[in-house]
Amino acid sequence: MAEIKGYNMPDELFYHEEHSWARVDGTKVTVGMTDMFQKEAGDIVFVDLPEEEDEVSQGETCGKIQSRKWIGKLVAPVSGEITEINEEMEEDTGLINTDPYGEGWILVIEAEDEDELQSELKNLIHGDAVHDFVDREIAKTEEEKAKAE
Amino acid sequence: MSEQWRLFKNLTRSVSTAEGLAVDDTLPQSVSRNNSPPILHLYTFVPSVIVGKYQDIEAALRLERCKAHGIEFNRRSTGGGTVIMGPEIVALGLGINVDHPRLKKGVGGVFQSLSLVLLRALAKVGIQGYFQPKNDLEVNGRKIAGLSAASEADSCLLFHTSLLVDFDIALMTDIMNTPVIKLEDKGYNCFSQRMTTVRDELGRKVSVTEMIEAIQNSFEEEFSIRFKEDSPDDWEEKTIRGFIEERYTQDEWIFSHRHPRARMGVGQLKTKGGLLEIYLALSGASIESVLVTGDFFSTSEDLHRIENALKWTSARRESIQNNIASVWHDNMIYGVDVPTLTKAILLAKENQVRL
Repeated sequence: MAEIKGYNMPDELFYHEEHSWARVDGTKVTVGMTDMFQKEAGDIVFVDLPEEEDEVSQGETCGKIQSRKWIGKLVAPVSGEITEINEEMEEDTGLINTDPYGEGWILVIEAEDEDELQSELKNLIHGDAVHDFVDREIAKTEEEKAKAE
Repeated sequence: MSEQWRLFKNLTRSVSTAEGLAVDDTLPQSVSRNNSPPILHLYTFVPSVIVGKYQDIEAALRLERCKAHGIEFNRRSTGGGTVIMGPEIVALGLGINVDHPRLKKGVGGVFQSLSLVLLRALAKVGIQGYFQPKNDLEVNGRKIAGLSAASEADSCLLFHTSLLVDFDIALMTDIMNTPVIKLEDKGYNCFSQRMTTVRDELGRKVSVTEMIEAIQNSFEEEFSIRFKEDSPDDWEEKTIRGFIEERYTQDEWIFSHRHPRARMGVGQLKTKGGLLEIYLALSGASIESVLVTGDFFSTSEDLHRIENALKWTSARRESIQNNIASVWHDNMIYGVDVPTLTKAILLAKENQVRL
């Protein structure tokens, strides 16, 4: 478990720059939104999810997430078929806030083959690069705060 | 030389909900795919009511009353709740890349950036407003504009707001399916205490045109840009027609069932400070809105602050308590403390029924 500048960014996960995360188990990829996203977005009030058996491509918007009066995007971190949707989301989207990497998982994508998946994972942020990613995201915000002041 | 943005300004006629919303949806698409600079759309609607993308329209509105009044109803593609629109309410759509250097980052940053423009516009006509986190503009504790947005094509977003130049509260009360109907029976209109308009604040007849000019100039000053008045090009016209035909005239869109369950509850609690009566509108597991009423001592500004802190937040006990505490000060409601108010709200939650 890695805490980077106040944000929980588990080491074993792969991150898309639009703040979705991927937990890989063979060809099964569980997807959710990062701690950084949920802290910035605030309380999640609705998640508009795709259907099971839908095919998605890496980088494609496959769902929408509403917080406050903002509707943001859920971007598929990898390609494949959606095989599972977290049904708990229908009752309590706040799980994304309270447990973003556990009960707040959103869906599962089954990749078609492992080689292709491994190749796509190289496009995601992982390992040491996660520190830089968090730094970049924080810098953007701080730069803007400084401008505003 | 300053950057040039495009301005679609319509002062000649009020447009249908399908037309206005289709033009707005085209804005971020054009910035993303048609190589357009940011586009601002300033216009007015025919008398209408528009729900947020993920609202239950049948729970939010009294559709029969809308039809009886000849009020159009539709669904927009940005978040938030119900808004009443009409010829005396300025509608604003903006398509812009989220990475535009003049825009603050993140969800909160975008709302803040755009609120600064609107505050400047209000100041131009003589009104001192302020940003009420998370999404509203207020004047003396009363809401004058609400902001909403959606992240759309690639990294482009659509930003929506409306500015009340003049407003018919009685009409709003009649067509919205809210707890207000019950409050009205007691001769109490919570909207009139929680909302205001440009004309009410100034006591003079400000024209929609004057307000639109003020908004246009404020954008130019705040973002250090200049506008080129323009109209949709061929690509945009085609996209607009597509949105009208495939989205805004389709029952599947207008009556979409992709929304959290809408419920409402009323809670009453006798306290040392008097009777607390809470009207709670729930959207799934979140609070869409809450009205704190009763026979206690407080100010409408303080009540509005509490209500705002709870809007679009989780309806869990801990969250309610933390959000109230974040704005609480001594004697905010005389004789009532945070746990007691939380308890009253949870009572309303327990009593929830489908609208």
